[in-house]
Amino acid sequence: MTTKSLTFPRLFPRPQAKWGIWSWIGTVDHKRIGTLYGITAFIWFIVGGIEALMMRAQLASAEASLIDPETFNQLFTMHGTTMVFLVIMPLSAAFFNWLVPLQIGARDVAFPRLNALSFWIFLFGSLIINASWLTGNAPNGGWFGYAPNSGTTFNPGLGMTYWIVGLNILGVASIAAGLNFIVTILNMRAPGMGMFKIPIFTWMTLITSILIVLAMPILAVAGIQLQTDRVYGTHFFNSLGGGDPVMWQHIFWLFGHPEVYILILPAMGIVSEVLPTFARKPLFGYPFVVFAGAVIGFMGWFVWSHHMFTVGLGPAVNTAFAVSTMLIAVPTGVKIFNWLGTLWGGNIRLNTPMLFSISFIAMFTIGGLSGVIHASPPTDSQQQDTYFVVAHFHYVLVGGALLGIFSGIYFWWPKFTGWFLNEKLGIANWALMMIGFNLTFVPQHWLGMDGMPRRIYTYAENMGWENSNLASSIGSFLLGVGILVFIINVFYSMMKKKMAGADPWDGRTLEWSTSSPPPEHDFDEIPQVKYRDQFWFDKYPETISEYYGHNDDDQAVPSGAQIDDDGEAAELPVVSGGADDGHGDGHSAIHLPDKSYYPFILAFGLAIFGTAFVTDGLVLFAGAPFFIWGLLGWSMEPVND
Amino acid sequence: MHRVSKLSFPLRPAIFLLVPVAIALLAACTPENNQSTFGTAGPIAKSQADLFNFIFWIAAIVFVLVEGAIIYIAIRYRQRSPNDKLPHQTHGNDKLEITWTIIPVIILVIIAVPTLTGIWAQQNGVPDDKGEVLSVVATGHQWWFEFQYPDHEVVTANELHIPVNRPVAFKLESQDVIHSFWVPKIAGKVDMIPLNDNYIWMIGDEVGTFYGQCAEFCGIAHAHMRFRVIVDTEEDFQAWLAGMHTPAANPVAGTAEARGQTGFLTNCSMCHTTNSTTPGSYARETDTQIARWNTWIEEEKPTQVSAPNLTHFGTRTTLAAGLQDLNQQSLEEWIDDPSSIKIGTRMQAHASVYDTDDGTAKLSPTEVSDIATYLLSLKPSADAAANAVDDGDGEAVFAAKCSGCHSTGPDAGTGPGLAGVGDRAGSRVDGLSADEYIEQSLRDPGAYVVDGFSPIMPNWSSLGDESIDALVIYLKTLN
Repeated sequence: MTTKSLTFPRLFPRPQAKWGIWSWIGTVDHKRIGTLYGITAFIWFIVGGIEALMMRAQLASAEASLIDPETFNQLFTMHGTTMVFLVIMPLSAAFFNWLVPLQIGARDVAFPRLNALSFWIFLFGSLIINASWLTGNAPNGGWFGYAPNSGTTFNPGLGMTYWIVGLNILGVASIAAGLNFIVTILNMRAPGMGMFKIPIFTWMTLITSILIVLAMPILAVAGIQLQTDRVYGTHFFNSLGGGDPVMWQHIFWLFGHPEVYILILPAMGIVSEVLPTFARKPLFGYPFVVFAGAVIGFMGWFVWSHHMFTVGLGPAVNTAFAVSTMLIAVPTGVKIFNWLGTLWGGNIRLNTPMLFSISFIAMFTIGGLSGVIHASPPTDSQQQDTYFVVAHFHYVLVGGALLGIFSGIYFWWPKFTGWFLNEKLGIANWALMMIGFNLTFVPQHWLGMDGMPRRIYTYAENMGWENSNLASSIGSFLLGVGILVFIINVFYSMMKKKMAGADPWDGRTLEWSTSSPPPEHDFDEIPQVKYRDQFWFDKYPETISEYYGHNDDDQAVPSGAQIDDDGEAAELPVVSGGADDGHGDGHSAIHLPDKSYYPFILAFGLAIFGTAFVTDGLVLFAGAPFFIWGLLGWSMEPVND
Repeated sequence: MHRVSKLSFPLRPAIFLLVPVAIALLAACTPENNQSTFGTAGPIAKSQADLFNFIFWIAAIVFVLVEGAIIYIAIRYRQRSPNDKLPHQTHGNDKLEITWTIIPVIILVIIAVPTLTGIWAQQNGVPDDKGEVLSVVATGHQWWFEFQYPDHEVVTANELHIPVNRPVAFKLESQDVIHSFWVPKIAGKVDMIPLNDNYIWMIGDEVGTFYGQCAEFCGIAHAHMRFRVIVDTEEDFQAWLAGMHTPAANPVAGTAEARGQTGFLTNCSMCHTTNSTTPGSYARETDTQIARWNTWIEEEKPTQVSAPNLTHFGTRTTLAAGLQDLNQQSLEEWIDDPSSIKIGTRMQAHASVYDTDDGTAKLSPTEVSDIATYLLSLKPSADAAANAVDDGDGEAVFAAKCSGCHSTGPDAGTGPGLAGVGDRAGSRVDGLSADEYIEQSLRDPGAYVVDGFSPIMPNWSSLGDESIDALVIYLKTLN
């Protein structure tokens, strides 16, 4: 700050606004970025849900003609793409952003401007993919984009180009965010917070971020290859030109299976926070839950071919992947048992977040069990590409990831906003979602076993599939009503404003120690950490010996925690922007990174590059000024003026 | 402070969770459904269903235990009245952790044993002890299935005949995108991948007709890409094979069948074959298919696509890849406007007869009806021996292939009358002898078109050199 550095000429002054649109466009505050992720993802959630309901309306009866086949193909392609990349991942990112700095006692993430860049790139990428609806070119080759059906020979329109350009842009956002959270969690923990004292949600964020950083580049490689196949006529996957369509499947699922854990691990982290809070007990077997998460993240790399049991890879390959797939059920089971152990003997408060979390265990278990059934290639040869699989992964991703996310929304809402969501509406929301969800997806198991393939826009009357499909469609609309009740709850509660204090649930982790909503700088003073669940033990010091064992409270830490070393941990950096300005006068000298427009400008330039592939190559020149301006301006802008 | 909901309240909606369970039970699987994986008709599907049931019941026990534990714990340990009582703050229990790690491992080993046995029994080729193997090449096309019997030189489409209780070994191919070959009641699926052959074998142990369907998303008509497997007794199967080598009777001149044949030869025969009954015709058909596929590979766009072989079409039961029952009415609708029945069909994009504003055929209702009548009449002829076409017999080839458009007299039909063609041939085109001119007319009909006729004659190279030579010799005799 003392030396005068070279600065890029500024067209706009550095953003100073505290309110209004410019304060949001220039923001680098992790909480505001979390809010932006959350709202954007929820809007896409509504869009993806409407896409699902349109499909269910078409399938409610045999040989219906509400939706023509081309539109139907577009709907299921966009429903999958939206829910995976534009809903569950960014909703998880909303929680990462909001909670990780608060849980580790930091004032922001490691790279605040990079964090803002991630969001803006995500926003523009999601807009490009969905702009395809407006230009009548919605992608129609499935969210899995199997070659050669996704190539120009069989799919000459612009749809799959929109899709792959959008995914490539989204990938940049995810990788940047993943790196950011890895660095944040490793380097910015409060003094004394060793790796085995960080909250489970933060642990799961770390594992998820590592998976994102390793998996998204694989999708990027496949995506760029497919894009050059489509745009420049290369032959990576186009079998007509000598390419290998099976290679696409390998690369896609090598990304795609870790992606499943990217979707579910954050929800598991949420549940691991909610259950102890409302059972008023610490998480049972903390180190085992951590290791189980890490093992899942690791083994998730060795199971991709179970998506390809019918591709004809041969009995040896199918044997190997059947075994690895069954093995991954073990750490998943360990997590479920530890959650039950957490509840056992607790003083369980059954309110909305807890109902969602308990339902998560119940529903995720069903998805896990049906997964074991088709981990067996002989039975999978009957279930692959049928509604049985559709039912299975919706139990994992809706019954698992989405219920976990809703649990987290109800749990942390008072922290985010300062006021509660209404409890009665919350329970109605939960009940409708649970009834609707099960009514939608239980019959789909039967449909799959009755031989109904996925991705068919209609079916004949003589197949015996009508009753189950009708039940499923009714259920899907109930599920939709449940989501509607949630939206009503948000606005109703906003009017009522039933205020919550800093710690409305008798929480355990550091985010509950600061006000609701937290101040811009998160903590007036950076917390000092000695224990896992530090905030709980601050409130209930008499339980320390109960948890850590008698006599020797710090040494008798349960297995897995021994690697903690307070001396080493205390030297970790405290906060970005500097905790200590040398004045030595405490929190009056808190420095936060200044706002910046450059992430937005850079992301805007990148988005224009992307649109060039679906419009005209010359558009690249329109994007270049923004891109270069964003890059240069950013690189020469000091963190603080 | 701590908000506690009234305890009875959240439990009440929980009861409603039983509603979907009840409905699900009501809608439980019905083995008699056409594609049920439970009502099996073959040993492979049966062992797959048995394995499913085995794992299902283990999963059901785990399900009951886990879900029971959740409900029990949620009720037993729920907060009965607002209080801040702290339960024991336990950190965990290592013995329990080890226990609930090992128990799932044991369960999974129990599941893995029959799984691995099943993989190697089903995916490692046909075992030797199953009896005489029938070989079939099944090819996926957008959006229909082609079946070739290389050992019997038979080619057909969308309706697969196999003998009961005999193993059938399939080579699976695709001539465009990835499809998946699936007959739920007889065996699980294996994908059909372009330029990447796959294999599957199955046995049907029950005589009857079974449903098959493409399971891999393959484009706009994926929902309509279906087929039938007809499991015949051995006698019926051999009779069917013999029938596929027995030509259909030639239509009697002046009948609807004869007019339909003319219409078919004029408008449809460029892509569809109806007479793959003769020796050599199987090779011709497969060669033509491969030539079309290679053209597609080279040009990267489908200027020519394979079309279903219609030999003995009248013996089939379904239309448009298992979509509709085959009868005069449905066939007429199909010929007039195929995409009204199966969206995406390539007929309208490739056949000039559909080159109209609304894509319907440039044919009068009578012409459509005649073609349908003709196609439905295509069955093995009773006096087959009399009609057998010798490959080297030019007159027979002419009767089978050319007489629909050309007469041997002076009268012009769709094509010129050929009386005296042997005399004219040598002087039609400078530099071409009579032999060369006639051969060019057959192999490259567009090179010289007689004034007053449309250039619609198909390229007959696919007949093979022998038949072409025989035709040339025969045609020169028409003085």
